[in-house]
Amino acid sequence: MTDFLLFLPELFFILGALLFFLFSLRKTPNPAGYHRWAVVIAAAGLLVTVACSHQDGMLFFNCYRVDLFSQIFKVLLALGTIWVIFSSGELKGIDSRQHAEYYFLIFVCTLAMMMLVSSVELLTIYVSIELSSYSLYLLVPMRRGADRYSEAGIKYFMIGVTASGLMIFGMSLLFGVTHTTYVPQLMKVLPAVITQPAAIVGLILALAGFFFKLALFPFHIWAPDVYQGASNQVTTYIATVSKMAAAAMIIRFAGLSGAASPAMIKLLIVLSIASMTFGNLVALIQKDIKRLLAYSSIAHAGYILIGILTLTTQGYASAMYYAAAYLVMNYSVFLVIMKVADDGHNLQIKELAGLHKRSPLLAMTLMLGLFGLAGIPPTAGFTGKFLVFAAALDKGYLFLVIIGMVNATISLYYYLIVIKAAYLLKPVKEYPAVHVDLWTRFMSIALVVMSIYLGVFPDQFLSLTEAAARTLF
Amino acid sequence: MTAMSMAGFPILTTILMTTIVGLLVIIFIPPEKTKLIKQVSLASASIGLALCLWLYHAYNFHKGGLQFVERVVWVRSIGITWFNGVDGINLPMLLLTAVVLFTGVWTMWELEHRVKEFYALMFLLVAGVYGVFMSMDLFWIFVWYDVALFPMYPLIAIWGGTRKEYGAMKLTLYLLAGSALILPAILFLWAKAGGHTFDLFALQKIGFSPFDQKVAFLMLFLGFGILAAVWPFHTWSPVGHVAAPTAVSMIHAGVLMKLGAYGILRIGMTLCPQGAVYWSHLMALLGTIGIIYGALVGLAQTDLKYVIGYSSVSHMGVVGLGLATLSVNGINGAVFQMFAHGIMTALFFSSVGYIYDRTHTKIIPELGGLSKTMPVASSFFIFAALAGIGVPLMASFWAELLVFTAAIKVFPVAGVLALAGMILSALFMLRVVQRTFYGEKNPKWEHIPDVSKFLAVPRVVLMSCILFFGLFPKVMLDVIQSTVIPFVTRF
Repeated sequence: MTDFLLFLPELFFILGALLFFLFSLRKTPNPAGYHRWAVVIAAAGLLVTVACSHQDGMLFFNCYRVDLFSQIFKVLLALGTIWVIFSSGELKGIDSRQHAEYYFLIFVCTLAMMMLVSSVELLTIYVSIELSSYSLYLLVPMRRGADRYSEAGIKYFMIGVTASGLMIFGMSLLFGVTHTTYVPQLMKVLPAVITQPAAIVGLILALAGFFFKLALFPFHIWAPDVYQGASNQVTTYIATVSKMAAAAMIIRFAGLSGAASPAMIKLLIVLSIASMTFGNLVALIQKDIKRLLAYSSIAHAGYILIGILTLTTQGYASAMYYAAAYLVMNYSVFLVIMKVADDGHNLQIKELAGLHKRSPLLAMTLMLGLFGLAGIPPTAGFTGKFLVFAAALDKGYLFLVIIGMVNATISLYYYLIVIKAAYLLKPVKEYPAVHVDLWTRFMSIALVVMSIYLGVFPDQFLSLTEAAARTLF
Repeated sequence: MTAMSMAGFPILTTILMTTIVGLLVIIFIPPEKTKLIKQVSLASASIGLALCLWLYHAYNFHKGGLQFVERVVWVRSIGITWFNGVDGINLPMLLLTAVVLFTGVWTMWELEHRVKEFYALMFLLVAGVYGVFMSMDLFWIFVWYDVALFPMYPLIAIWGGTRKEYGAMKLTLYLLAGSALILPAILFLWAKAGGHTFDLFALQKIGFSPFDQKVAFLMLFLGFGILAAVWPFHTWSPVGHVAAPTAVSMIHAGVLMKLGAYGILRIGMTLCPQGAVYWSHLMALLGTIGIIYGALVGLAQTDLKYVIGYSSVSHMGVVGLGLATLSVNGINGAVFQMFAHGIMTALFFSSVGYIYDRTHTKIIPELGGLSKTMPVASSFFIFAALAGIGVPLMASFWAELLVFTAAIKVFPVAGVLALAGMILSALFMLRVVQRTFYGEKNPKWEHIPDVSKFLAVPRVVLMSCILFFGLFPKVMLDVIQSTVIPFVTRF
């Protein structure tokens, strides 16, 4: 009877989505009112998710597992969602008639991702991932002056459906080999048959859908255009929240083969190296900050994969830590972008010139966020990299770690260029003053504190992720 | 107060906290109150200096070994501990850091441009340096190492001089490329030891296979060697020195470069003794090339700061050569040289800083005859130059003497060549002194006032340090030796 409590966070987001569905039917939009409602619902959603974070159980004929692993990711998803919604106060990038739909789709997408991280059955996974993808397909082209950016929406859709086509094909192969769609069953059966080509191909193709979400090489092509083409808030959502779900699912799936498949691990190593190197090298020449962050996200997908491909508890725990750190750091940077470009245009790096005078607090948030992404202590980004690399070296992947560190050094160059713009460059023309409200002020300080606290005192959170990673086996 | 009664008090963490608390206080002072910011900076630097002096005094060198140990478990699952302690190797380094920070803050008293950010970043940098020197846990050593490196970028790029943005970027990328080798090496050793502790001494007890030691030592040597300006990875160093503002040059050349040599000694040679033996010829070769190359290139320079930059390359070569001998005298000399060179370079940059702030040039031919217009300022530089040459009664004399006696025994050819390099460096130092401070007086600089009493204080402190340890080298050598003698038995 109390089973529905396990589904409470999801139920809550369903109700939120329904409310905004009703709002979207109204003739006269009320953007300010919608924003207040959305904040309240998202905040309550976060509270409910946190309250449910220690639940444990199975639902829906064992298709749906609620455990520490899924609940940690749900908290991260809810946290990212409320951050994005808080920053949607002045949603100038999107036509005010579409604001209700915007919140509706955000809630549906968060709901879908919450379902995704709990799904342990292939078809449930597929349905959840499609639900979240279709919400994003609609969110991306939702922008004022959409015809200029429609390419982004189409590209995202085309690559997305290709990836999900590959994914469902991979799942069918897995079913063919193992005669089951339940993940726990697959874990038992698959290691025995992993030497069969069909099983390996099936597993890799099934992963393709998540690689697409995480923007891992070679499924990264959409990222730069979508980041640039979508409105700043939607980009923030894609760059932070949707990466959490993707990381969670790759962690769940990569372990399916057991440790017995060297071919699979080799492939993941190659993908990780390609992703880091490609992302970082192309990021070096970017002028638009969202494009730069898109390439940096490709590189970060590679770093997260390093932790996952070790296939050890420690590796999964470090990847989860890295994902959480990435959420904090990336959101810090996007918060600054959304504030500096508060009329919703695409921010160029040179427009950040003199930011330290226009708003010292935002400049500091930006700097710490970027240092975190570059992996410089004492930020959470550094500790994340350290843990991921430690896990990889525990398995003896010295070469991979050296390549990872060289990449971190390369990435420092383009992050420094952005920091240089904020702290050193003199503005070529007068830029409008940055309006920093109380909420942004609070959020900036909170993000800086969080990043440093997580970085310096990782013990508590790490033992939580370790406990979560143990539930996977 | 004796060392025993203070045993429970975390003196090392307190020293570290003087910089971090100083940093936090500075952050909350409004930027226009520059005077207050400078006073707070000087106060916290003085507290650090006082604590370090007390620590030096309280360290029991008869007993030797690790003292004032602090240990708190930090991350249980992978074995990170907050583990600080001092022995004969890092104690002189902590003292050096405190002296250079104190004099550096004082030297920059006339700074007017973005004062708050400058001192905040400088304290962050020094927090990193203190942290590296006192930590005995590989994780923390690496964290503090990176904390010490990245403030260099804004410090040079905002307040620097010649080609500042280029110099800052080059320096940052070079040094972080070094840490791209250090981190894998540290994690490699950690994983080989079973992956449950970063404690330096626990790892030392576990021991590693000869092959692992060779691999790890090479990576550590190259990684830390970049920061120690080992030839051929030194090119960032003169460019960075020249670009940096005075106090940053002082800290950078005086302390930061020592982190590199210290890392090789503390991590590389402690954990991989057989690796050190295997690669000692390479170390000696690179050290000797550094000594000669630095002196030769120094001869051709016309910029005062470049001259000092290349003399640093040369002097750090002496440290490298000393470490490579793997003998008591050699390592004693190397550690002593790290200290002596740190103080000496700080004095160099401090005195050039004064001249540059007044004349706005550091090109040697444009100066000339300065000893007549500003005798006190000139005397500081000349004193440093004499120390650089290694004149007896200066601290560096003893250091170099120890290194060369050891080197001639272990690597006769390299030792003799290095001695020849020292003569070259004497030549170029004297040439610089002669051209800058004697000879034709340049009438342009006649109106410039000499160093005021207030601004002379930090330079006098540095001079007396050089002289004191030159006259009483035993005060330092006893401390260093207490750790080095048991250390070399492992080779």
